[in-house]
Order: sequence, then C-alpha cells, then structure tokens
Amino acid sequence: MKQSICVKINGRVYEDEVEPRQLLSFFLRETIGLTGTHVGCVIGECGACSVLLDGRLVKSCLLFAVQADKREIVTIEGLADDGRLHPIQEAFVQRYGLQCGYCTPGMVLAAHYLLGRNPDPTEEEIRKALAGNLCMCTGYMQIVDAVKEAAKKVNR
Amino acid sequence: MNETKYIGRTARSKEGPRHVTGRGRFADDFVMPGMLHAVILRSPHAHARIVNVDAAAARAAPGVFAVITPAEVQQKSRPFKPGRYAAGLKKPIPEYATAIDKARYVGEPIGALAARSRGAAEDALELIAVEYDPLPAVVDTAAAVRPTAPLLFDELGSNLAWKGSLRYGDIEGAFKQADKIVKEKLKIHRYSSTPLEPLACIASFDAASKKLTVWVNAQVPEVIYDALREALGLEDIRVIIPDIGGGFGQKIHLIRKYVVLVSLLAMESERPVKWIEDRSEHMMAAGHSCAQEFDVEAAVKKDGTVLGLKFTEIDDVGGSVSTLTIHFTNKLNNLSNTYKVKNIYLEGHSVVTNKCPVIPNRGIGKPGMCFIWERIMDRIAAELGLSPVEVRFTNLVQPGEMPYTTPSGNVYDSGDYPGLLKRALEKIEYEKLREEQRRERERGRLLGIGVVIGVEPGGRNASRDMAIFPEMKESPGSGGVNGATIKLEKNGTLTLFLGSPNCGQSHETTTAQVAADILGIEPEQISTSTPFDSDLAPWGVAAANSGNNFHLYDIGAVHGAATKLREKVLALAAHVLNAKTQELTIEGGVVQAAGSPIKKITFADLGKIAYGNQAMMPKGFEAGLQATFYYTFPHGEPNLVPSPEGLVRAQFTFSAGAHVAVVEVERDTGKVHVLRYLIVGDNGAVINPDVVNGQIYGSAAHGISVALGEGFVYNSDGQLLTLTLTDYGKSSTMETPRIEAEHRPAPSPFTVLGQKAAGEGAAIPSPAAIASAVEDALRPLGVKVRELPLSPEAVWKLIEQGKG
Ligand code: FES
Ligand code: FES
Repeated sequence: MKQSICVKINGRVYEDEVEPRQLLSFFLRETIGLTGTHVGCVIGECGACSVLLDGRLVKSCLLFAVQADKREIVTIEGLADDGRLHPIQEAFVQRYGLQCGYCTPGMVLAAHYLLGRNPDPTEEEIRKALAGNLCMCTGYMQIVDAVKEAAKKVNR
Repeated sequence: MNETKYIGRTARSKEGPRHVTGRGRFADDFVMPGMLHAVILRSPHAHARIVNVDAAAARAAPGVFAVITPAEVQQKSRPFKPGRYAAGLKKPIPEYATAIDKARYVGEPIGALAARSRGAAEDALELIAVEYDPLPAVVDTAAAVRPTAPLLFDELGSNLAWKGSLRYGDIEGAFKQADKIVKEKLKIHRYSSTPLEPLACIASFDAASKKLTVWVNAQVPEVIYDALREALGLEDIRVIIPDIGGGFGQKIHLIRKYVVLVSLLAMESERPVKWIEDRSEHMMAAGHSCAQEFDVEAAVKKDGTVLGLKFTEIDDVGGSVSTLTIHFTNKLNNLSNTYKVKNIYLEGHSVVTNKCPVIPNRGIGKPGMCFIWERIMDRIAAELGLSPVEVRFTNLVQPGEMPYTTPSGNVYDSGDYPGLLKRALEKIEYEKLREEQRRERERGRLLGIGVVIGVEPGGRNASRDMAIFPEMKESPGSGGVNGATIKLEKNGTLTLFLGSPNCGQSHETTTAQVAADILGIEPEQISTSTPFDSDLAPWGVAAANSGNNFHLYDIGAVHGAATKLREKVLALAAHVLNAKTQELTIEGGVVQAAGSPIKKITFADLGKIAYGNQAMMPKGFEAGLQATFYYTFPHGEPNLVPSPEGLVRAQFTFSAGAHVAVVEVERDTGKVHVLRYLIVGDNGAVINPDVVNGQIYGSAAHGISVALGEGFVYNSDGQLLTLTLTDYGKSSTMETPRIEAEHRPAPSPFTVLGQKAAGEGAAIPSPAAIASAVEDALRPLGVKVRELPLSPEAVWKLIEQGKG
C-alpha cells in the first residue's frame, strides 16, 4: 500500500505516493530525479547519499521516504544559486577537492553542515566532520584543503 | 608549439563544476523507457556442485520479464576466450558468465533475473530454487596443493594451476661469488580498492538490427567489446562509458560477466535492463588483489652490493583461471626496482582456491615486487650491520646510466634515484629524526622510520607475456595504440574526442591544457565529448584506465591531433590572409600574420569558411577542420617483443619516488600512527601539478591503508567475513595521514612533453614504507615484519612475541 507524502526539496514542494519500503535516497534519485544524491553502500557507511534534512546532515539511505513527510530537504542540487556555485562548491573546484566525483555531493554537504556550525574549523575539526564520508580516490588531502579554503570564502 | 601557457600549471578543473553540483552522469543516473531492473543470483557456498536450478516460480512471479539460469547461459552464450593471463594453462578451461556445474567462491554468479522494479526482482530471486551439493572448501594455498585436497578444476588434476620461471643473467654465478646470502619469507594479503561507485550496467538490444548498446562503468572498453562478441556472437556493439565513480582496476575484468548477463536479460525481455551491484556483492565477487607469498634470497657482497636476487612466489588466485598469472607477470614491470642488480631468478606458482578471483588493482603485482626489494634491502642492512639507507645508495642505478636497460630488458627512460633519496632524507631531516628516535626510545616510545624507493612504470606491452609463456600460440599484440580527435567547430570553439574513458584522473582538464597550448586558444574554449562512446571515440587497445596508459597514449594522441589540426588551421589561414604559414602565429584563437596588425583571422571565421565557403579554400584543401591522430610509442624498440633470452620491455616510462614514513606504535594496543609521510617523486614533466598531486595523495593513502589493515578475511569454510566497508577496514579522514609531496622531475626523453606516469604511483612503494617503519619502531623488541597487513592485532602479536 502506497502512502502519500509531502516534502519540500530544494525549496519546491513535492506531493507523492511512495511505497513504505522505499528509501529516501532512492526516492530522491528515482522519483524526484535528483541523481546528485549517490549511493555507495545503502547501510550508512560511506556518506555518498548525504543530504540536509531540516538543516541537519543525514544519510538518506538510512531513512525511508515516508520519514521525510512534512519536512524540508536540501540536496546537492539545491546549493548553487542560478548556476552560480556556492562558495563551498567553488572551493572544491579550485582546490581539486575531488577526483571521480562520486563522494563529492556528500562531501560538499558535510562541509556545508560543518561550516554552518563552525565557520573557522581546524584541520582536526574538519577531519572529524568528514569522518562519516568515505572517499576512495583522493586520500582526503585536497578535500580537507578545499574545506579550509571554503571557510575563508564563506567568512569573507 | 607557442611557449606553454597552460602545460605545467594548474588550471580550472573541467570535471569539477558538474560533480560539485551533482550533475556528474554515472551509469545509475541513466533511465530508459520501459527499463527493467536486474538482480544476480549468487552462490552462498564457497565450493559446491550445482545439482539443479528451478526457476519456474520466479518466471511466473509478477513483474518478472526474464530469468537466466546456468542452463540458459550455456545455451545462449559462449565461453569467454581464454585471455593472455591463462596462456600458461595445460588445458583451456571454458569460463561462462555464470558458474555452470560448480560454484567456486561465495558470491559467484549462478543466474540473473529482470523485473519491473528492483524490489520485485529481489522478491522473485527468492523463488529460484537451487539444489547444491556442497564440497569442502580450499582456502589456503598450502592445503590446496596437498595431493588429497579437493580439486577446484578436475580438468587440471591439481590446484596448482600454473608454475613457471624466468632467469636473467648468471644467477648461480652471483650466488657463488656472494659474501653472504640473505633470506626472507614475506607475505602480502588480499585487498582491493573498493571504488565508491559499485559496478553498474545498462544493456539495450535492438533485435531488428541486432545492435547491442551497453552503458557501463568499465575502465577498459576493449574488455567489454571483446567479451560481448565472444560470449554473444554479436558484431554490432556500442559501449558507452559515462562518468565512473572510481576504478583502480576493479572495473576492468570481472565486470564483463555482468555485462553479458545483463545483455542476455535485455535480449530475452526485449527491454533495456539496468543492473547496479550492491556493496556486499562488490566485496565478495567483484575481484580482489592477490595474496602473495614470497621466498626471497639475495646474494650480497660485504659492502651491501646485491649480486643477485632469487624469489619464489605463491599466488592465491581464487576461484577462476582467467587472471591466474596477473600478479606474477607484472613482476617483470618493476623487477629490478631502482637497482642495478644483474642477475635475477623468479618462479611463480598460481594456486586456485575457493575465494573471489583476483583482478588488476592499482599496480597489480608491482607493490609486491617493491615489497620484496625493500624488505630484503632492510634485511641486508641489518645482517651486514649497515644503514638501510646506505645499502640502497650502494645499489641504485645512477643518473649518468640513463637510459638504463635492466637485466629483463626494460629501458628506464630517465631518473635521478640517488637525488630523490637524498632530497627525501634532507627534507625529513633524517639525522635529526634518528637522534630524536634514540632519545624517545630511551623513554620507551616506539618510534620508527622507514625509507624506501620504487619505480612506477607506465604504458603497456602485452607481448611481455610471451616471455613468460613461450608456449603462447597467438601473439597477444605488442605496445599500445590510442587515438584522439579534435575538431574546430564553425563558431571557433574546439571539441575533443578522447580515446579513453576517465574515472577520476581529470582527463578532460589535462588534455584541454595540452591542446590549448598547441592551438593557441584558452582551455575554456575546448570542450570534451562525454560520455565515451565506442561508436565515436578513436580508441585502440590502450584506451584504458589501466597500465598507467593515459600519460603516454592519450597525451600522445591529443598532442598529435592538435598538431595536425594546427597545421590545417595555418594552411587555411595562410591562404585567406595571403601569407606564408611560417609567418603566422596563433593566440587567443586568432591567427595573426607577421608585419601587419590587420592581417589576422579568428578561428570562428576560419570555421565558417571550412564548413561552408568553398571559394575561400585553397586548392586541394580537405574541407572541415578536424584531425584524428592515433599514437603509438615511437621508441618501442628494442625489446618490443621478447628476444630469445626473454628480454622484453614490460612498460615504457618509469616514474619513481622515494618515500619516508615516520610512525609510532602504541605498545598496549598495537595501533600504528603515521606521524609523517613524505614522498619525493619524479613523474616526469608534470602537465597539471594539482592533478598529479591528487594521484600521489590518493595512491599513497590507499597503500598506507592497505599496509595498516584494510583487507579481506575468509573463514575456513570460505565464507567472506568482510562484507562491509567497516569490516573491511577502509580508512576515513581520521586514519589517513597528511601526505607531503615534492616533485623532482626528470623529463622522459621518449615522450612528447617529457611526461611520465602518475596514477598507480605511490600505491607501489607505500606498503613497503610502512612495513619498514613499523619494523624499525619495534626494533627494541627484536621482532621482524614479514607480513602485511599491520593491523593493530597483528602488531600487538609482534609486540607480545618480542616480550616473550
Ligand atoms: S549510501 Fe548511504 S551511507 Fe553509503
Ligand atoms: S573523489 Fe572518488 S570517491 Fe571521492
């Protein structure tokens, strides 16, 4: 039996019928068509599926779509403003904070969540904040440097 | 070329903007009308006969369109051609996309099913009844070769599927002349690179025209192309490779099985079918690097000079024969490492076991070869009472000897190995560090310093294998070929068609920098056609995220295509401007003739002429402004094919790096902390330092994580215990150290820009560096490091052993 939900995603309201077993990550990808939310494990280990739910960083593979009913979500597609990159996105581009790009949406959102609470983090704090997001390509160096750069940009 | 404006500097990433906005296009992002979803039926047993597969209930389940069982696989497809790595097998073993009569590892595909949704497919999969007759599992190589061991392949009569050896120089003489023979037994475990994006494939078949199109995150288009032709007997095949979420070798080989299965489902259902692997499937069945055991002997002089090296290797290759020799054959690629030893003997044993088949993985056998050299160098130093650094210096190939031919026929193009090592010691302040270590040891701290050096080969030469399997009937080809096409559009912008897919190495950015410099235009004016499409791309055998190929073949091809196009542009401009081509320069997309500021023409105006104004073209000019160039390495000789003595170029360019690891071991827990990790590297002339650094950091981080514990663990029944990334032990930001990298490039005299490889890179020496540092930390306890991984548990055991 499908259930109806109403979710605000990147500022737009969606009303949909979903199967109770549908995960939020697949709802975003397949029903809404926002494929920037990636899936690397489906068990909460990798962070590729991270989104902001009511302003908090969550792993969308650990939630059912029905749990997002009447709540607000920001996905990676919701950060740029009219094609202008968000300063955090810009920092990731400038500092080569990515290689294959698969972890990138989750990393950018995790950085966004961190900088919202702590605009001037130390390297240690950055590493802690990103510890739930795995990257298999970069060795994290340029990601950490991108977040430092982003902090500068956001504070400017 | 104009003087370089873009080559050698960082540039704005071309791939970055789409990925940071979630607009990367990965295989799972594509949706086709009417698309079905596939799931794979897998063996729960490590070793079992398949007695019967009954799929009737699944076929009748709601939403199910197609089911494939072993019987249908055998009926509708053919086995893959035994590849070059199986060339040494006594009898060819047919390998289909699924197991046919026997499962040989947990997770081996048995069948597949497609339904309208993934949920429906998973529900229906439960309805397939497979009757297995479980057999005892063979999980370690020593047990596997006992005469009473159960056989994986009855046809072979033994689990020792292959054995072979090679010798270079006078190995007996070397051992006779030696002052000392230094011996050691070493071991490397099973690991992988676990790309964040699992395997993924969509297949669509047009029955009327018999055209099969697949969208797949494969690293090597040729593997997929050939597999589909061999298995399905089709000729019209189109392989589309969108953004790949990391490869590292994981997406080269076994992925072909799934592409065939998904294609069979698409043909059967007459619908497009998508398959997305899940993480546990990836861990159990997408391929592992090989556990390798080495028995090493070095013949040395008192001063540390190595006269000869002998080693025997036992490879635990898992439950397939299609890749059984890859880790051994790759030893030829860095067989001499950075050393001038003249006499080498190597012997390989490939043992099949009931584990996941082995596959290429960042460097394949090369981290093992470097591990052999660097562990034995430390051992030689200890036994002769010399410093480990000194022993290395004694044996290094000198810069004045470049290009240097190794005993097995490799030609090292360039490099200053002593310079790399010296700089690394300087930068880390080695003497001061040793002083500090002495002080801290007195206070009980277990601090260790590991210094190693390694080469990183690049480029490909399949004919290498003929040196290892002289019985090989058909040549596997030699050298490599890849192409590029560049087109000046009628609005003056450029489009680049690369011969290779890209899985995170910034191919689009780097090639645009090269083309921009040659053509005198900004990289912003160049766009790369994505995704890779085998119908359009000028690809050859080296079109591969494999073998460190990009720097050689793709850069060579782009360089060639851009140079050809430049000539065409100049010919047309010279005609239009009534000038000589030698008087023309290009800058910012404008061709300017010497002498008069108004004698100039823009790329856009040239485009208009080339595609639409015949009267303005010179006589005999081929209309359009497009050029394709296929590059093959022009310095492939000597030893492009093996000489009668087995001398062969296994790869063509040789980067190198000196690594220093500084670690501290926690006495109570065995946990290793990496305090510093420094690399002084030579990757030839660097095109984009940010990109090359990214490759160095990523590959070092992987090698360090491997050394410190990430890896696969099986129990005695052949069940994999590490099905998740957490159990597997993948390092996060918290465990991964900062890596310091410095470049000391020695440009290659053989490549178009002096460039060399960077990709497998630091994953080759880093496991050895960590082993060396941990052993050094434990020196007060008098224990030796012989095996990876150095997980806390393993290190704790070493500490206990030292106490006891
Ligand atoms: S897919 Fe959600 S954490 Fe990995
Ligand atoms: S960039 Fe590939 S996983 Fe992070």
